[in-house]
Amino acid sequence: MAVARGGDDPEALVRRAVEALGGIGRFVPHGARVLIKPNLCISGRSYEYAVTTNPWVVGALVKLSREAGASRVLVFDNPTTGSSEDAFTTSGIGAQVGAAGGEVEYVASMKFTPVDLRGAEWLKKTYVYDEVLNADVFINVPIAKHHNLTGLTLGMKNQLGTLRDRPEVHASIQHKLVDLTAFLRPTLTVVDAVRILVANGPTGGSLGDVQKLDTVIATHDPVAADAYATRLFGWTDPDRLLNVKYGAEQGIGRNDLENLKIEEISVG
Amino acid sequence: MADRPRAFPRWKERYWRIMRSAVQGIVLAVFLYLFLRTVRGGVPPEIANLFPRLDPLTGLVNLLAAKTLVEGTALALITVGLTLIAGRAWCGWICPLGTTLDLFHPRRWKNKQPAIPDTSRGIKHFLLITILASALLGSLWLIFLDPVTIVIRTLTESVYPAIDRIITAMETSAYGVPVFRPAVSALDPILRPALLPATPAFTAGGVLIAAFFIGIIALNYFAPRFWCRYLCPLGSMLGLISKVAVFRREIAPTDCNNCGACARVCPTGTIQPDKTFASDPAECTMCLDCISVCPRSGQSFPAHLRPALWNAYDPGRRQALAAIGAAIGGVALLHTDQYLRRDLPHLLRPPGSRENDLLSKCIRCGECVRICPTGVLHPSVAEAGVEGFWTPVLIPRAGFCQYTCNLCGQVCPVEAIPSLSLEVKQAQVMGSAYVDKNRCIAWSDHQSCLVCEEMCPLPQKAITVDRSEFEGGAPVVDRTRCIGCGTCEFKCPVNGEAAIRVFAPGRSNV
Repeated sequence: MAVARGGDDPEALVRRAVEALGGIGRFVPHGARVLIKPNLCISGRSYEYAVTTNPWVVGALVKLSREAGASRVLVFDNPTTGSSEDAFTTSGIGAQVGAAGGEVEYVASMKFTPVDLRGAEWLKKTYVYDEVLNADVFINVPIAKHHNLTGLTLGMKNQLGTLRDRPEVHASIQHKLVDLTAFLRPTLTVVDAVRILVANGPTGGSLGDVQKLDTVIATHDPVAADAYATRLFGWTDPDRLLNVKYGAEQGIGRNDLENLKIEEISVG
Repeated sequence: MADRPRAFPRWKERYWRIMRSAVQGIVLAVFLYLFLRTVRGGVPPEIANLFPRLDPLTGLVNLLAAKTLVEGTALALITVGLTLIAGRAWCGWICPLGTTLDLFHPRRWKNKQPAIPDTSRGIKHFLLITILASALLGSLWLIFLDPVTIVIRTLTESVYPAIDRIITAMETSAYGVPVFRPAVSALDPILRPALLPATPAFTAGGVLIAAFFIGIIALNYFAPRFWCRYLCPLGSMLGLISKVAVFRREIAPTDCNNCGACARVCPTGTIQPDKTFASDPAECTMCLDCISVCPRSGQSFPAHLRPALWNAYDPGRRQALAAIGAAIGGVALLHTDQYLRRDLPHLLRPPGSRENDLLSKCIRCGECVRICPTGVLHPSVAEAGVEGFWTPVLIPRAGFCQYTCNLCGQVCPVEAIPSLSLEVKQAQVMGSAYVDKNRCIAWSDHQSCLVCEEMCPLPQKAITVDRSEFEGGAPVVDRTRCIGCGTCEFKCPVNGEAAIRVFAPGRSNV
């Protein structure tokens, strides 16, 4: 795991963190189809409100994937309210994806495919977006936010945006997130904590609830990413975030941060 | 005979028919373009609502009922001016419903058409007077008969959603076949959201609206432009103005050989063979087909200064009194309707309009329904009673009022929904959400959910979490903050009726 901090350039944070992991080539093979999943949450909020993933963090990942020789870089999310086109525009993500040479994918209702999650205990059957299933590389780029149901919404919960029937997942959500993570197996998780939302999440709307941390966490381990991110909110026990606890119990990732090699990088 | 100048050189005679069809086509194309681009990021809302603003009937009734002059409706003076010069040219050349009716005019019906007594032409005048008198009494209950609003409403709530469903179904089945997948993937971003809604459009009473429209078209079976001849209140208004229009059709008896071609081709049947093929300018749509078919160029459209003759079917004192009586009786009866009480629990109005006396301002044009990006606005079928028929209501199970959107007020041509800045709009209370604890899965089954709390878009959430009964937390609405946007009701995962519902604010809140 690598954590980059400081400076005022989100792209530099992403680049340094990914470099510390051994470079983007470790994750994105030449010619791969990459799908990047930011958090578009709701349309109508610009990135300063820390409701949606930082546009330059997403843009940096698009650039890195391109540099690694990806054949196609799609950026997709199924926002909870509002159209994806609107969300891409108001968040500012659409512009950065375009500038970096990626493609935005607007939700097309016919592309949700029924999927049986093998070995899953809680989320056995659901509709997943076909482009997610078709991608060779799945990069999850959540923004770190407060959330009343789960406590925080980080990487594992961000993956809900690949599903069609989202409200239905809320019952026993922490268990279902583990099943979904085991199914999607994100190649890389990059937690955007350039700005975090500390209250009234996940939809925010008040700059008073935003803290600027200029931090980016990158790791292949979806559980560890969330576990580390809880610290940004002053949590001492990552297991309080139940999807971390259950994820570690199921063995899809690690919550014992003290035993992990974590590269802390200071930028700028 | 030979020394009488021809109205038009012969080479120009067909030209008028082509000209008219071309203008009709172009206007319909502009109309459809504006309709399709009446979306966020489309044409500016104050241009998107061009057609309702050009409509002098909706402008006039709004003025009569609301007793305030809305700046935007002044555009209708252009139409009035056009009518004063060229009679009902609006009907023949511009009206999107008239053009549509011209398209549905199969020639083979013509022989079978029964004779309809000319007195039936008086129905539209009766309707017009009833509408105007009702408006004076503050009620716009019959304005849904305005042709411009009929077309916008039908496109918005019937045609467009149906087309969307058909295309979505085709895309979905094509996407099921791997070979077609790339094609669907390439096609869909072109169609959506530029032409079709990003998310499936729901309708309220779309079938009813379609049936109404089909009914109007079906009446063409009995006579071409049946609607325009006998029923259209806007046609009546423009017709009465046309009585003093400058240019009117005239036939020179010396040039006429009584062939009757003009009477046969006249789409409104106003050319009367038994009256030396004269016509009533109030019924003539200035289509100029008669010129095209006249073998001897016997007709012209010279300037006149004296008003045209009053016909038997034109409104007399008796008819006018009867129509006014119908208005008084109708409005009185409507006021006995319990639905008129403004605090009906599910009568949710667009932001800012509840306090704005919507019933006496709204012309039922449907522009707000069209532009609403989430599909929460619909023409009321039953929610607002008979008087509020087809006025806009929020149906939160179909959509939600987006916190960062104020388009409906911007597109409303008559300020029935006030145009508000985002800040002011965000403070408008449309209703208030109430949790049904018996059905809420958190309260009744102790299941973790909190979707409503999660989705509440207010910067300081109006839904808070109560963890006293169940550690997963259950939603509680903070009445002082909730504005009734309906996002919670829209997103509630409970099947059927949501376990959190928005209720209209009571009279005390108005």
